[in-house]
Amino acid sequence: MVSFKLNGAAVQVEVPERMPLLWVLRDELGLTGTKYGCGIAQCGACTVFYNGQAVRSCQIPASMLDGAEITTIEGLGTPEQPHPAQAAWIEHQVAQCGYCQSGQIMAAAGFLAMYPNPSDEQIDQVMSGNLCRCGTYPRIREAVKSAAVKLREPS
Amino acid sequence: MIRTAAIVLGLAITTCALADSTLQVNRPSGELSTEDGLIAWQRIFAVLSHPRCSNCHTDEHNIPMWSGPSYGRTRPHGMNIHAGPSRMGVETLMCSTCHITSRTPNTLPHAAPHAGHPWMLAPAAFAWHGKDSASVCTQLRDPQRNGGRDGQALVEHIIHDAEAHAFITWGFAPGGGREPAPGSMQAHLDDMLLWTSVGMPCPEGAQP
Repeated sequence: MVSFKLNGAAVQVEVPERMPLLWVLRDELGLTGTKYGCGIAQCGACTVFYNGQAVRSCQIPASMLDGAEITTIEGLGTPEQPHPAQAAWIEHQVAQCGYCQSGQIMAAAGFLAMYPNPSDEQIDQVMSGNLCRCGTYPRIREAVKSAAVKLREPS
Repeated sequence: MIRTAAIVLGLAITTCALADSTLQVNRPSGELSTEDGLIAWQRIFAVLSHPRCSNCHTDEHNIPMWSGPSYGRTRPHGMNIHAGPSRMGVETLMCSTCHITSRTPNTLPHAAPHAGHPWMLAPAAFAWHGKDSASVCTQLRDPQRNGGRDGQALVEHIIHDAEAHAFITWGFAPGGGREPAPGSMQAHLDDMLLWTSVGMPCPEGAQP
């Protein structure tokens, strides 16, 4: 049995200790916003926050979850109050097929939390870790910049 | 602590089993020559220059490499990875985004490998990717460029790595279809004990 916080709420699951967090989220807890892309940490589609850091949920075994705080795309914002990255993604209509986009948004949100005013080079260096077969990279870059502006605005 | 003490006092001890490892500290005995040390160095260099080790011993540009039979042509790590001055990606994308810290075996081909220590590049002063034997040898015995270590500390570095299931240990059992570093952790430790016991001799061409 592992206990952790998921999108701010306490959860407990009884799963094999080597089950990847990705499957805990999707199969055990029914949160399917986090996507399975490659299963080997190459694509970034399964990106979530683990104690505030963007990580590949396909690589995090359940044994590492006890006491952790996990945030998924479902917990990043709400339809009424989306995270600035989510709002920027909608504004720029970034998604084409959309499959990789929850991972892209989580990577961007994690990055912007550390770097509120990133350069193009920084955006490329970070977002290069998330693959998009539709090639939406130019729109991703614009959305990241736009989200950065939103995040810097006084609330 | 007991282990460290055994190493420190180990001049009189020829063999010391480590409590939580299969490694044995086999202190060399008998007459050993500089030539013996140079032969050991050749095997040490084969390990250090192997892609499993050298891919992360890169220069101040802070970019890890992909090289060796498992990766085809030598090239920078994919995904535009840049580890930054922190050498662990703090400035851009953390190595730990994909390379988790875990002691579990690496079984999946192509998956980001993991080890028992947070993934990072070696300090830039320890860069030896692409360097020749004499250069790396000089570097390894220079406390200015090896983390301030003398011979004994270099040996302890290997032992600590084994205890943590860290990167040297991983290099000999990388899994996932990757070619391991030549030899074994035990053979590498034996060679380091021998090489350091005869004064860390380096091949011709090495700077003093």
